[in-house]
Parts: sequence; structure tokens; C-alpha cells
Amino acid sequence: MAERGVGRRPEHLAAVPGVGPPPPDAGDLLREVARGDEKAFGKLYDLVAPRVYGLIRRVLRDPAQAEEVTQEALVEVWRMAARFDPARGSATSWIFTIAHRRAVDRVRSEQAASERTIRAGVASVDTPYDEVADEVNGRLERQQVRRCLDDLTELQRQAVTLAYYQGHSYPRVAELLGTPLPTVKTRMRDGLIRLRDCMGTGVSA
Amino acid sequence: MTTEIHTLVGAYVLDAVDDIERASFERHLRECDSCRTEVHELSETATRLADNTWSVPPPWLRENVLSEIGRTRQLPPKVDAAPPARPAARWRRFTAAAAAVVAAVGAGSAVYVVQDQRVREEQRVAAAARSDEARVRAILSAPDVVLKKQDVSTGGRVTVATSQLHNAGVVMLAADAVPTGRVFQLWTIRPGGAPVSAGVLHEGQAADVVVLNGLPGATDVGLTIEPPRGSATPTLPMVADVKL
Repeated sequence: MAERGVGRRPEHLAAVPGVGPPPPDAGDLLREVARGDEKAFGKLYDLVAPRVYGLIRRVLRDPAQAEEVTQEALVEVWRMAARFDPARGSATSWIFTIAHRRAVDRVRSEQAASERTIRAGVASVDTPYDEVADEVNGRLERQQVRRCLDDLTELQRQAVTLAYYQGHSYPRVAELLGTPLPTVKTRMRDGLIRLRDCMGTGVSA
Repeated sequence: MTTEIHTLVGAYVLDAVDDIERASFERHLRECDSCRTEVHELSETATRLADNTWSVPPPWLRENVLSEIGRTRQLPPKVDAAPPARPAARWRRFTAAAAAVVAAVGAGSAVYVVQDQRVREEQRVAAAARSDEARVRAILSAPDVVLKKQDVSTGGRVTVATSQLHNAGVVMLAADAVPTGRVFQLWTIRPGGAPVSAGVLHEGQAADVVVLNGLPGATDVGLTIEPPRGSATPTLPMVADVKL
């Protein structure tokens, strides 16, 4: 039952050939979900929920709200599944677009109300799940994303990450960076183009 | 493609626009095939930014979401709302897409030629790590996951997550370094059986994440300090013994 023989493993996670069924494909599952298949939705949940929750939590920085918005986003995936058009991009990308937009909508409406800070204080009781997640994340974090982000110019990286991970609008990003609006728009675009070229086109599951 | 509105493409993809700008940008997209291609590509790229935000959702969330969808009616497929006066639109879109594919294939093979064995090997390792990662994540986010933690007597901690549903577990080790010339070795102990090696770490390696199949049948996960390349039986005392 040991996964690896003695003394022949690479430093990072070793490959585990033939272990477990191959991970299901998000596009296939979404097609089944579009036909009202709740079981397929359960599988899709298992496949994408940690990343959807993680992304929303990163943007909102409040676990309790992240939970709520993750639920809204995933229910929207269920509701809209039949409108997914594979010709317009991958299922994963479609799902994360929904999730990200939900998170951004929430963070912007919350930015107006200052109650967010108070709620975050109350809700930041760590669960064991958070702890494990943090522990594992350090090890599993996609090196590629990080490496490609490091490849951008400082301004490109700031423009892209302030918008994507913190949900700021581009005028707000311009304000935060003390940079003219047209420059920020340009950096967001050429930053993404550079990321695309660095990461290639493959989208995971 | 070079219109003023198109400079918003990056901000649009990153959801950094307001509702009015989004609506006008989407109007622009309907008129511009190459812009749509760019938006699709950059959206895929933006999605990859979510790769390193992974976090285990609380287990009850799954139940909540599944019961919510049981009460939620799905929308029917979208009837194309575009004005019927433009029958060529779909065809134009197709040819643009086809052209993009041809261009991509051309560029792809050029890249492939210069790609050497090292790059292919890196890709293979990355793909293997990805599939393993997916498995780790699946186990950690299983609704029945059970966590056990134990301090390592020489410093650090072992955390074991097991899931009956997956009939597997994940062992996460974050320990202080062992003396030079010694390595960590993991063991599983089953009722009535001798300890079985569950992997040997490299010299100087004190952190690892390992997937173990069949772990729910074991009673303990042990950690010992061994000579390089490990031992056939554990050298006692164990520096950590996680009771499952």
C-alpha cells in the first residue's frame, strides 16, 4: 500500500500511476448537469468547489461570506448550465467567470458598507479545515502561476492582481497605483497576454 | 479591434469594469469576431489565476449546495436572441475561429520543433504532480474527512487526513530537519501486522505530502529517523505516532 518504493522519489509529489479513477472532465459533467442530473452536479462540486471557494475567499477575505457567495455561485452554475456554450471557452473558465463575478459584486457592494470589517472579525474563527488547507497550500500552490506572475513587470502584476484577487475596478486600481487610467487598462491587457503566453492554453480539469 | 472600447478587454476579463462598461463592451464583442477570440483566450488565462487560491470548503457547504439545487429550477438553453437579419454571423464566427485554429496549429508546431526533451520531461512531471494534487484535494475536501495531528518529538508536526469514501488518506509532514546522514521514513501500522514503509524522504527533506491508499484500514501512521534510503523495519523509538 505504500505509494512509492524506497529512495526513488523526487522532491515534490511523486506520480501515482494507475491510482484511483481518472478525474472527471468539467465539460462532460456540465453537459450532464445541463440535463438536470443532480448526481453529476455532485461530482462537479467535488471537482471545482475547493477552487471556487478558495477564489471567492481570497477576494472577500471573510470565510463566512465566502461560504455564502460560493453557494450562490454554484447554484447559479446549476441554474445556467444549459446556457454554457463550449464554443465560447472551457467549462472551467465559464464556472470561474461566474464565481469571480459574484465575488467582485459582493466585495464592491460591501466596500460601500463598512460593516464588513466587523463581520470579518466575528467570523474569523479558524476551522481545522482552514488549517489543513493552509498547510497543504504552501506545498501544492501552483508554482507555474506564481512563476508567470513573477515574469510580469511590476505594474502589470499589480494591475492584474489588484483587480483579480482583490476585486478592485480599474479606476480604483489606477488610484491605488497612482497611474493614469489608460495605462492601467493597457497594463491589464498586456499583463494578461504575457500570462497567457507564459502559461500556455491548458486549463486544468 | 482597435476601437477605444476595445482597450477595456483586460479590465473586462478581470471583472474590473462597472455594469455600464460591461454592457457596452459586450455590445462591441457581438460585432467583432477577433475580439471574442481574444476575450476567450484571456478568460482562460484569468481562470488559471484561481489555481493557487485553493482552499478546503467547510464540509457542510456541499450538503447546503446540493439541497439548494434540488429546489432550484434550471433555465432552458438560450434561444438565440440575435436579430435574424444577419444569417452570415454564425458562419463568419466559424471561419474566424477556424482561422484562429489554423494559426494556432502553425505556431504550435513551430514551438514544438524547438521543444527539447527536457521541456517534455518537465511537462510530464508537472502533469503527474497535477493529477496527484487533484487526488490530494479530493481527499481533503471529502465530506467524511477525519484529521489527526501529532507533534514530532524532534520538532514539527504530522497531520493525517483520512477518508473512508476515498479509502485513502493524505499524510502531511512539516518537521524540523534531521541530522546529516539521516532521513525521515513514514510507516503504516495495521492491526496484527508489522509496520509497512509508506515512503522514505530524501536527505535534507523535512516536509512532504503523500497519498496512501487503503489508509482507513490502518491504526497508526508512524514516523522514524533512519539511515539514507530507509530501513526494512522501523528504528525505534518513533519520533511521531499518529493514532487513527
